[in-house]
Amino acid sequence: MRAVIVDDEPLARSVLRELLAPHADVEIVAECANGFEAVKAVNDLKPDLLMLDVQMPKLDGFEVLDLIEGDTTVIFVTAYDQYAIRAFEVHAVDYLLKPFSAERLTDALDLARQRIASRARLPEKFSSEARGQHAPLERILIRDRADVHVVPVDKVDWIESQDDYVSIRSGGKTYLKEQTLAELESLLDATAFVRIHRRYVLNLSRLKKIELGAKESRIAILTDGSQLPISRAGYARLRDLL
Amino acid sequence: MHPILIDVRRLGLYLLGWVPLVLLLTLGLGRGAAWTTAGTVFAPLGFVFAFISLSAWYVCRTFPIGRGSATVRILALAMASVVASGVWIAAGDMWISILESAMPGLRAGALYVDRRLPLLVIGVLIFWLAALMGYLVIAWEASEAAERRALELSLMTRDAELKALRAQIDPHFLFNSLNSISALTTTDPPAARRMCLLLADFLRETLRLGASSRIPLAEEFSLADRFLEIERVRLGPRLNVARETDPGASSCLVPPLLLQPLVENAVVHGIGQLVDGGTIRIAAARVDAGVTITLENPCDPDRPRRSRPGFGLELLKKRVLTQFGAGGDVRVDERDGTFRVEVRIPCVQ
Repeated sequence: MRAVIVDDEPLARSVLRELLAPHADVEIVAECANGFEAVKAVNDLKPDLLMLDVQMPKLDGFEVLDLIEGDTTVIFVTAYDQYAIRAFEVHAVDYLLKPFSAERLTDALDLARQRIASRARLPEKFSSEARGQHAPLERILIRDRADVHVVPVDKVDWIESQDDYVSIRSGGKTYLKEQTLAELESLLDATAFVRIHRRYVLNLSRLKKIELGAKESRIAILTDGSQLPISRAGYARLRDLL
Repeated sequence: MHPILIDVRRLGLYLLGWVPLVLLLTLGLGRGAAWTTAGTVFAPLGFVFAFISLSAWYVCRTFPIGRGSATVRILALAMASVVASGVWIAAGDMWISILESAMPGLRAGALYVDRRLPLLVIGVLIFWLAALMGYLVIAWEASEAAERRALELSLMTRDAELKALRAQIDPHFLFNSLNSISALTTTDPPAARRMCLLLADFLRETLRLGASSRIPLAEEFSLADRFLEIERVRLGPRLNVARETDPGASSCLVPPLLLQPLVENAVVHGIGQLVDGGTIRIAAARVDAGVTITLENPCDPDRPRRSRPGFGLELLKKRVLTQFGAGGDVRVDERDGTFRVEVRIPCVQ
């Protein structure tokens, strides 16, 4: 098994390295100290196994899972027990609580070997699907080749649908993310973001005024002066919220 | 149950209190008669009324002051006093008939017959007096109960404070520290032992300080130093600390573990969320009659909201408010990637 270890604490990585050493079939191909490094390492090296901490700088463990491709098997390693349910919702094979014993790690590795052997393919976009049942999204993560952009949702001005992509507008910058507008909308706080048009979702706090256009159409004027069309259904949704 | 009948000693004291009254009654009403006759007739009757008067307390209970109309209360008392006194006279009549038949030579009847009316009046008056005493007892009981409630309340506040203190040791801090020890046991055994000692020291100090009501600021800071030293083993060079303490400030007395949650926040939500870490700055200075403690740490402005300090800060604000009232102040400010908390409290020495 080719494994990547992700933990922001050097000592936590060292105990993992030490306890993994007797397992001859496990080869550590990378050690990462934060979420960004983890995303890059997993996408470059395509490991079989990811040993993942939850609380880390920049991206937490769940956000890392959101940004990686392929079906890497995941074992969470954390001091916090409150993420266990969420961890299994994103199909982690095991959840190790720090500090853990060598025996406990062996058990976890056995589970990982079984999962890899059976090649059970994970559902696509599994993490987003699980996220939907939780609190609204706080940050939108966008992978741009090797880079990862983190856009807090309150800095998003509006989102525009581009077929299978969405373009996210934030402070004059535009980010392209592979996701449908409907899916992204379902993850956002419904009291802060509203679908004003088939193609547009607007951050309510950016709305300055609504103007009447030609043929009874309505136009949203934003605080930065931009204009977006409002559909009849979008206007009804807006009116319910305002 | 009647507060006097509940205890034999109380009843004894009560009857002892009646002795002068009975003596007065015997001497007053028995004037002109032989003292043996007066004593035999009036002394037992006096003690009988001592028991009848106990019923006044029940009237007081049924018609308490402050509830219902005063007229009803007075009417009820008047009726009760007449009835009580009437019962007394009836008892007197019975006693005299017994005495007449048993000891005709005593001439008890002759003495008693024109004392019935004054006896009735005295009975009414004494009953009113007893009712007055009853109301006093009830008022005293109410104030006792209020005092007890106040005491219970202060105990509850103290309990809440203790709970708050206990909640301030984050279990994840312990688990992470134990994980560091687990790592060090093979790679660097002396460091593992040092970490164990640091952790034991920190826990012992936390418990010790938590048991006192006020501690010098210097001790609070030394606890923070221990904590940060442990976290430095875990986070390595990412965590740096700069401390600046005005010598006059270190002797000020503060509630124990007031700053500990702030220091923890600075590590967990500040340094812990930054790839390159940073420096936590802790400063204390005397300002007029107070002391100002500031804590500053770099933070990631884009970190998720869930990892923002909430509970710890709320607890701190509440404690400063309950302990110092308007004399204390907590200010929280985050800008340009710096999180800053300023606590101003009066300096007690």
